[in-house]
Amino acid sequence: MNLPLHPLILLLIFPGGLFLMNIGLLYEWADRKLVARYQNRVGPRWFQPLADTIKLLAKEEIIPYGVHKGLFLSLPVIALTGALTAALYIPMFGFQAPFSFEGDLIVTIYLLSMMTLCIGLAGANTLSRFTIIGATRALTQMFSYEAPFLLALFGPAIAAGTWNIGKINLYAIDNIWMIIAQPIGFIVALIGLMGKLELPPFDAPEAETEIVAGALTEYSGRGLALFHIGKNVELVVGLTLIVIFYLGGIANPLEFILKSAALLLVVTALQSLFARLRIDQTVGLWWRLGALMALLQLLAIIFGRYLGDLLR
Amino acid sequence: MTEKPKEKFVVPIGPQHPALKEPGSFLFTVDGETVTDAAVRLGFVHRGIEKTCEKRNYTQDLYLLERICGICSHVHATAFVLGVEKLAGVQAPPRAEAIRVLAAELERIHSHFLWLGVAAHEAGFDTLFMYAWRDREVVMDLLEVLSGSRVHYSINVIGGVKFDVDKELSDSIMKQMDFLEERSKYYMKIVTTDDTFIGRTRGIGTLSKDRAEILGAVGPTVRASGVKRDIRVNSPYSGYKDYHVNMITDETGDLEARFIVRIKELYESYRIIRLVLEKIPSGDLTTRVKRKIPEGEVISRVEAPRGELFYYIKSNGTEMPDRVKVRTPSLCNWGTITDVAVGHKLADMPMLLAGIDPCFSCNDRMVQVHSTSKPTQLMNWDDLRNYGIEYYK
Repeated sequence: MNLPLHPLILLLIFPGGLFLMNIGLLYEWADRKLVARYQNRVGPRWFQPLADTIKLLAKEEIIPYGVHKGLFLSLPVIALTGALTAALYIPMFGFQAPFSFEGDLIVTIYLLSMMTLCIGLAGANTLSRFTIIGATRALTQMFSYEAPFLLALFGPAIAAGTWNIGKINLYAIDNIWMIIAQPIGFIVALIGLMGKLELPPFDAPEAETEIVAGALTEYSGRGLALFHIGKNVELVVGLTLIVIFYLGGIANPLEFILKSAALLLVVTALQSLFARLRIDQTVGLWWRLGALMALLQLLAIIFGRYLGDLLR
Repeated sequence: MTEKPKEKFVVPIGPQHPALKEPGSFLFTVDGETVTDAAVRLGFVHRGIEKTCEKRNYTQDLYLLERICGICSHVHATAFVLGVEKLAGVQAPPRAEAIRVLAAELERIHSHFLWLGVAAHEAGFDTLFMYAWRDREVVMDLLEVLSGSRVHYSINVIGGVKFDVDKELSDSIMKQMDFLEERSKYYMKIVTTDDTFIGRTRGIGTLSKDRAEILGAVGPTVRASGVKRDIRVNSPYSGYKDYHVNMITDETGDLEARFIVRIKELYESYRIIRLVLEKIPSGDLTTRVKRKIPEGEVISRVEAPRGELFYYIKSNGTEMPDRVKVRTPSLCNWGTITDVAVGHKLADMPMLLAGIDPCFSCNDRMVQVHSTSKPTQLMNWDDLRNYGIEYYK
């Protein structure tokens, strides 16, 4: 489905920009509400994330001593921009991606990593001891999940024979759901996404009982709000990516909502099931298990393709 | 190239920190993620209760001492009344002793559930935290039906207890004990089989039997290391003479063992409560005690949910005590933290802190103001009084 709209509208209002942020808030609410219900709590009302964001945006932004001011102010903006830009190459809500080229998968994955890099820099920028430990942990975690996550997304790309997300989407709609053909890849990608978003049990970089709020401890007001919005956008983008790659693609908006909501349900369940992993346990898990599983999956796919070519 | 002297990287947990429910200061020197040194500084919530006791009569002190701890208020009152009763030479009626045991065990259940939740929260396992605190509500409600209050039950009076247990309440307690026992078994299964949780508890903060003895640890902390130390068993007091308690110990001494010991103690509490309700003696609830307590001094020990609680009471023959000294179990256990912290990861520190079930407000005995510009000075009572007079002149 293609949208006959001006590129600027596509970029800023729908389906990019404003609309994406609002969907992000909606998903944050769904996430918080579901986790609360799993934990036998009541949970927030539907407008709570929006109210939080407005409150934060209206508050004073305190710039602590000893930081590089320009960096401190620009990092949240860069993080949000990265997440929003990543959405431009993805066929969000079942519409064709506003921009696409052969190889945009790689660009998207790198844009999604901008958030973690910005959080790492933001933590290292301030003098607080909690932020420095938080930054170290965030970057350590990134180095552990990034490779398996990448490998897990390469699986479907290799099966589809293209690096273009739009084309992978079309391939996924026409063919059998890739979760059936590549179950290991799906698990690795899903857990990789949770690591990327620092959701429990991979929330060591912002473990409140140890290092308060991790790398973002010194942020308040607008900067914190922008980081939050960025994370929400990344949640939507990440869920969409996995739906496109593993759950049979997105042909229309209804399919987008149903499939990503179902995936969110799984993510929230996983969030409430486990105790927080220590950072050394996270790294061990990813390199000992995640990377190995993803590699096995990749080898199986390549071998399968080779066999398919032989039989043809 | 000469090597620069390594700067110390100290992570402060407290006085204000999300991991701490009460103020206390813990300084952990870390090398990367590994802790190389630990220091504890307490005294942020000193309230001068011991001193205040000397200015009030015994009945008023009872209510004051209950407020030392918001979680184990009943054991504080029990320790005090047992001491005062010994001084006065009276014995509470058997039914009162049984009701004291009942309240103490209900309190232990609520305290251990609270601890289970807090410890799970420190490990980032919020689901268990919420579940444990939901089930804790059951026992809180029972205490409310028994005494009219959820936190400060005020069941004790000198010479007996205030509230009676009737048939209806007895039945409802019996019913809820079955429910809680089932839940405890479920939590036992979680803490011993959940892989991520075991990853955070097994082999973490292992306190050997010898070290536990040397450091003088008490309560479930020391029982998890295999030391048989439980006042209810070692020197039974009050109703525990009639209702035998089984000692719960574990050998490993790590955090997992402390979970296991505390949950097994819950089973034991359910058993004792059922036993008390089945064979509760009939009779009066109180005996008369004179307002003036004869001269003398006494030591009173009881087993609080956190370990041995120690009271020293000195009477001078008037309505008011001459001295009340309280030593709470948390104070004995702090040493274990600094002892085992070194070599562990920073992420384990909140778990280690929670592992002894610390209660800050009940162990603060003094306030020490640290200043970087002025030297630390100690003041006695007269100095402090003069300082105050001079200051406000």
